[in-house]
Amino acid sequence: MSAEIELSSILGRYTNKQLNIKVEGSTVGECLDDLFRQYPDLKKMLINSEGKLHRSYDIYINGASAYPMEMKKPVQDGDKLNIVFIIYGG
Amino acid sequence: MLSEREFKRYDRQIMIYGFGEEGQEKLKQAKAFIAGAGGLGSPAAIYLAAAGIGTIRIADHDTVELSNLNRQVLHRDEDIGSGKADSASAKLRKLNPDIRIESITDTITEANASRLVGDSDLIVDAMDNLPTRYLLNKTAIDKGIPFFHGAVYGFEGRAMTVIPGKSACLNCVYHGVTAPEEKFPVVGVTPAVIGSIQAAEVIKYLTGLGELLTNRLLNYDALSMKFTEFKVNRDPDCEHCGKL
Repeated sequence: MSAEIELSSILGRYTNKQLNIKVEGSTVGECLDDLFRQYPDLKKMLINSEGKLHRSYDIYINGASAYPMEMKKPVQDGDKLNIVFIIYGG
Repeated sequence: MLSEREFKRYDRQIMIYGFGEEGQEKLKQAKAFIAGAGGLGSPAAIYLAAAGIGTIRIADHDTVELSNLNRQVLHRDEDIGSGKADSASAKLRKLNPDIRIESITDTITEANASRLVGDSDLIVDAMDNLPTRYLLNKTAIDKGIPFFHGAVYGFEGRAMTVIPGKSACLNCVYHGVTAPEEKFPVVGVTPAVIGSIQAAEVIKYLTGLGELLTNRLLNYDALSMKFTEFKVNRDPDCEHCGKL
């Protein structure tokens, strides 16, 4: 499956400012693995020491929340994934 | 009943189809609690005061610092060292002397949140930390009043409106996640946009106009100049609103 990941612009520093990235995978986890193959520096930002998505991030598939069990959620051809950093500033 | 002065003052918005004298009267009778007189609280308060919200209660425990002035547009250089709530209130009274402004210089805590919000009709979340945002979200749910969320980071901002028992709350969306309290980057135009969206949502809610930003998390990215909408749902197991 081929999908597109759109990153929060906050993460652009780890991807040479690329915010829309094509990935391959049939689950969110596989798509993220492909993302990390392309941009290894992203992994330490998104994944915690237990290999899970860091709690400061949310993933949306075609605009709908993938929470909970994000990594196992299926991805269809042409899906769009958004990785969103939880922000709190005022 | 609107005075002749109020008819003149609000003429351009009374003209809006569906708004009318009735809508203006609803704003006049409303009491808004604005939590935070900083980057988001400034534009939200300015536009709610300008629109004629009858009572604005604005709370902030902090004092104005030089480093606030790139974004907290209610404060001036000469306000440095003054309480933010009092500084904001002084400007809002000058902007619109026909409304009531209440200033609260206090830290919002679990012990006082309900009392500080009091009999307000709604809460505008203009805070700078997640724990107090959750606390106010829960307070709004307990009181059955709407909660207008906004947050910013750098060139990015988010907004969402919560109607207790009817739409996803902040805890449904963020699942109680907290982040370490750190100095965050921000440029003033970001809270200007998000605070204005929060004010627009308040005005829409009070007048009954339009479609609220419920069950939708709006993301604003000024760098790509894109608004993206994410669909969010109520969590039946939410510790804040799951039992409603």
